Formats: sequence, structure tokens, C-alpha cells
Amino acid sequence: MHRSFEIIGKVMTVAAGIGYALLALGPSLSLFVSVISRKPFLILTLLSSTLVWLVSLIVLSGLWRPFLPLKANVWWPYTLLVLSSVCFQEALRFLFWKLYMRLEDVLDSFADRISRPRLFLTDKLQIALAGGLGHGVAHAVFFCLSLLTPAFAIIALAFVTIHTFSMVIAFEGYAKGNKVDQVIVPVIHLSAGMLTLVNFASEGCVIGVPLLYLVASLTLLHCGKMVWQRLIESRNQSGPTLR
Amino acid sequence: MESSSILDSLGVEIIGVMAPVSICMFLVVLLTYSLSVTSDPQIRTAANLIYIENPSDSATVKLEGSLENAIVFVVLVAAVTFVLVLLFYFNFTNFLKHYMRFSAFFVLGTMGGAIFLSIIQHFSIPVDSITCFILLFNFTILGTLSVFSEGMPIVVRQCYMVVMGIVVAAWFTKLPEWTTWFILVALALYDLVAVLAPGGPLKLLVELASTRDEELPAMVYEARPTVSRSHRGGSGGGGGTSLRVLVGGGGGGGVSDSGSVELQAVGDGATHNLDYNAVAVMDIDSVDGVGRSREGHSASSVSSEHSRELGSIGNRESVAEEEMSPLVELMGWGDNREEPRGLVEESDNIDRGIKLGLGDFIFYSVLVGRAAMYDLMTVYACYLAIISGLGCTLILLSVYNKALPALPISIMLGVVFYFLTRLLMEPFVVGVSTNLMMF
Repeated sequence: MHRSFEIIGKVMTVAAGIGYALLALGPSLSLFVSVISRKPFLILTLLSSTLVWLVSLIVLSGLWRPFLPLKANVWWPYTLLVLSSVCFQEALRFLFWKLYMRLEDVLDSFADRISRPRLFLTDKLQIALAGGLGHGVAHAVFFCLSLLTPAFAIIALAFVTIHTFSMVIAFEGYAKGNKVDQVIVPVIHLSAGMLTLVNFASEGCVIGVPLLYLVASLTLLHCGKMVWQRLIESRNQSGPTLR
Repeated sequence: MESSSILDSLGVEIIGVMAPVSICMFLVVLLTYSLSVTSDPQIRTAANLIYIENPSDSATVKLEGSLENAIVFVVLVAAVTFVLVLLFYFNFTNFLKHYMRFSAFFVLGTMGGAIFLSIIQHFSIPVDSITCFILLFNFTILGTLSVFSEGMPIVVRQCYMVVMGIVVAAWFTKLPEWTTWFILVALALYDLVAVLAPGGPLKLLVELASTRDEELPAMVYEARPTVSRSHRGGSGGGGGTSLRVLVGGGGGGGVSDSGSVELQAVGDGATHNLDYNAVAVMDIDSVDGVGRSREGHSASSVSSEHSRELGSIGNRESVAEEEMSPLVELMGWGDNREEPRGLVEESDNIDRGIKLGLGDFIFYSVLVGRAAMYDLMTVYACYLAIISGLGCTLILLSVYNKALPALPISIMLGVVFYFLTRLLMEPFVVGVSTNLMMF
């Protein structure tokens, strides 16, 4: 904390600090309290996805360490950095999904063994949500909480939204083999990363941040639409049989 | 409308252990930040016997000195543990229990009192000394009573365990930096040896306790899940989702030995009362818990206490610091058929649950507290490392079904992540995000 204060170079009161932290993490906190803290398994999912994100960040920083610190005014190394990071994280997301499929099988066989119903659609969606929230919280903590300023907090909020809901889209996309969903997630992530590059230019953040929020709300809308469709589908499927 | 899914109660026991560990770490970090204690070079404790670290020393001097400190510390802890084994062997159990109570009183009263005083000073809380003394006295007495008594509600006992962990960890964070890291690693290695190697003191203690079918005198945090068992037509599989079934079944149907015995012993496929009782580290508290266990392994934990004399402000000498050795143990417990139905609820709620030694709490919090002195990023990284290490240990516990050391995996992961974050990640993230670039 002392080092980060040196970097920012200003004195921050505790209230302001808490305010900025809540700006970035407020929605995720409410999501956590309302959805995730109810089921212990989701908390475990959140912790493990946070760990995965942390590991990916460590690997990336290990790869880029020899090239740091980058020169401040040249922007193309940063592009390369963002590009490579996004690609790596998307690849990791796919691996995460593979792991999750394995876990789903284990859970289903466990459910069979104790004669309980298998995982519902809502369960799977909740697990995906917890995974995405884990990524988002990890992003907020590492990119925002150490250097608490309003700018970081605002950008972090957008990214938290993007990470949380793109995980849901990605899981459903991989599960259904839906190409659109599968492709749209890396595209969103990449465009969000690139948009922050716009902040490099002076006064760039006036354009960059609203566009970022546009991307975030697009993610939210797409995810909502997809989930709604899936729920309607499954309701139609199971409806006749229940009666 | 639909029957509840398995996701509702899966993993309750793990969260029941991780939550207090997280709370303890969080409060220690908060204490470290708000009190901003820098290591006081005048304190000579058992951890500092050989070498007092001076920030201006060269790296090699610090390295050697810290290594010597760590080795001496571990030797002391091992010696005290052996003394404990001897005392237990000669049936001095009551003496040990009373000594534990005394040390709980001491820890809460003096060390906890010192922390309260510094909090009062730091935040300028207006309270007079008599009120403060009375409050502290009440607090301490309640803590002492809650440690080994049978009648206390479990919540009080759990809170006091966490408070004691916080108090001791906050004192440990006053140690100088290099010494702290070396001590943590040395203790993790010692724990591994002491619990698993044939001649290790903790292993001897476990075996003694199990052959005599007694509980060990020790301080342990008991996490009793409050999931109610739903009895559906004789099957009690409701609340007790068993990690062992999950893990054992995950191995392609090849359940681990004792697990399969219990699975089959229960009889019909619908009844799986597999609630495993993981006993962590020493706990004498298990009068109502471990004592009634039917399986052999009893909780083994070495209790070492951290006691310190506080002399005048000028010279402080410490008495031997005994550590609470962390130890995580799983007790298999499956068959409930013999119990009459009415008793099942009660016995389930008492016997079930994971126990984690107080030493685990302390050293996890010390690691995170030390990470907090650098930056928030390292705190988060170390927290995740420790929690995942704890999760791995719990999974191993359900697989191997015997006493396991809780320190090694978590501490090793924590140290690795701390140094990786500090050296690699921080320049990367700070360099990227100060330009308002994120991904």
C-alpha cells in the first residue's frame, strides 16, 4: 500500500478509498451476496477462477518481464502486450471450460450415486457466472485496488462486467458449439483491451471510457438474450414431460 | 417446486473451514495496516535468539542470520513438542489442559491487551483505564473458559479461536522480514516431517492418542456445519454431502479403501451417511467430538502455546514460544445405523466437521500480514495461494483419511506466489495500468 501511494503521489482518506473500491466492485459484491454466497460450491468456483486469472497474469508478466519497462510514449509495444495477453487469457478460458466439463461429469455421477437430480441448467449458468465473477474480481483487484483512483475504478467496473458475462456466453457457446458465441467473446475482450489503448492519447479517455461502457453493455445484452433463450428452450423441453 | 440440486450443499465443510481462515487473515491485514507496526529491533524473542536483523546489514549476513534464527526456532518447537509427547505418554493430561487454559488466559490478556491498547491509542478512543481493564478482564476470562469447556456454544469457541489466532499472528508480524520468511518455510518443512515421518513427534502423539482412544490436549478450531439432515425415508443423504464420495467416486468408481468400506457398510444404495469428520490439529475440545469417534484416528495435534512475558518496555524477554502445530486430520465416520433415530441429529451435529489447528491460522495470517507490508496485490496473491493450498490439503485429507499437515502446501504456495508477484507481476501491472491500459 505504501508503494502504491508513492506512485500516485497523493494522500487518500479511508472513506475515499472505500468509495473507489466500491465503485469498481459494488455490483460484483451485490452479485456475490445475493447469488454466490448461497451455495458454497459457487464460492469455491469463484476462488478457483480467480486463481486461474492470477496464474495467467503471472505467466504473462514472466514472459514480458525482460521487455519492461516499456517506453512511455511509444504505443505499439503496448498493443502487442494487450494482444498477447488477451490471446493467452482466451486460450486459458477454453482450458478452463474443458476442466469445467470434466467437473460437470464428476458432479453428475456423484448426483446419480446419491440419487439426487443432476445439474440443472440454472446450476450450470450459475457456475459459469461464478467463474466469470472470479475473473472480474481478480481483474479489479490487480488492476485497480492497488492504485485506487476514480479513473481506474470506472474502467475496472466496465471490465468486471465484461469478464463476468462473457464467461457465461463462452461456456454456453462452447457447450452448444455455437460459433457466434464462441467467437464473440474473444472479440469483445480484444476490443475492450484495444479501447483502453485509446487512453494513451491525451484526452483519449473521454472517447475510450464511454466506448468501453458500450462494449460492456453489449456484453450484458447479449448474455441476457442468450440466457433468456436457453431458459425458454429448456422450459419448453421439460414442460410437457412434467405434466 | 423441484427438488434441491446437489449444488446447494456441496462443499459446505470446506467453506466452513475457509471462512474463519479468511476472516482471520483479513483482520490481521487490517490490524497490520491500521497499526502500521514496524519490527521493533529491541524485541528478543525465541525467534530472534541468534541474530537480530538490522536493515542495514548486507544480504549474506541477513541470509545466514535468518537461517540460524529459523533453525533454532524449529529446534525449540520440536523440543517442546517432544516434551508434550512425554507428558502425554505419562498421562499428565490434566496438567496439559490446565496449562493450555493458563496460556489462553495469558495470550488473550497480555498480548491481546497490548493490541487493544495500541488500537485505543491509534484511534484515540475515549475510554478510561478502569473500564478498559474490566472489559479486558471479562474478555480474557470468557476466552479461557471457552477453550476447553463443554457447555459453551460452539460459536463462542470458534470466535475465541479466531481471536487468539489474530492476536498471536499480529505479534508474529513484528518479526523482521527475512527472519519471518525463513521461519515460515522452516516450520512448513518441520510440520511435514513431524506429521508424516515415522519418528515425528506429532505422529507419535496421534498414535498415542488413538491407541488410548483419548483426545489430545490442544487448541483447535472446529467447524461444525449447520446443515440439517433431511431424512427421506430412512436415507440421510440430505445435508451430508461427502467430499470423500465425490473425490473417491471421481476416481472412476474406485473409492479409496476406507471410503469404500464405509460406503458398503451402510448397506442400501440410498443411504450414504458419509459425513467425514476431519480432525485438525490438537484439540482437547473434542471431548464431545473426537471422544465419540468410532474410527481409530483421533485428532492429533501438538499444541504449543505462544507465551511471552512482557517485562518493562525497555527490556523484553520472551519465554519459550511454543507453536500450535498445524495438523489436519480426517476421521472417517460413516455408519449411523446403530444409532436410534432420535440421537442421529445430535450426534451428527457434534461429530461432524473439519478441525483445523490454531497454528495453521497463525502462520497463514503471518504470511498474509507480511505480504500486506508490501502491497495489496501481494496480499491477494498470497491469500489465493493459501486458500488453494488449504483446499488441496482438504481434498488430500478426504482421500488419505488420516492426519495431515496443513502448513506445507499452503506456505510453499504462498511464498512462491509472494515472490513471483513482487518480482514479476508488479512491474508489469503497474507499468500497464498507470497508462490506463487494461485487459
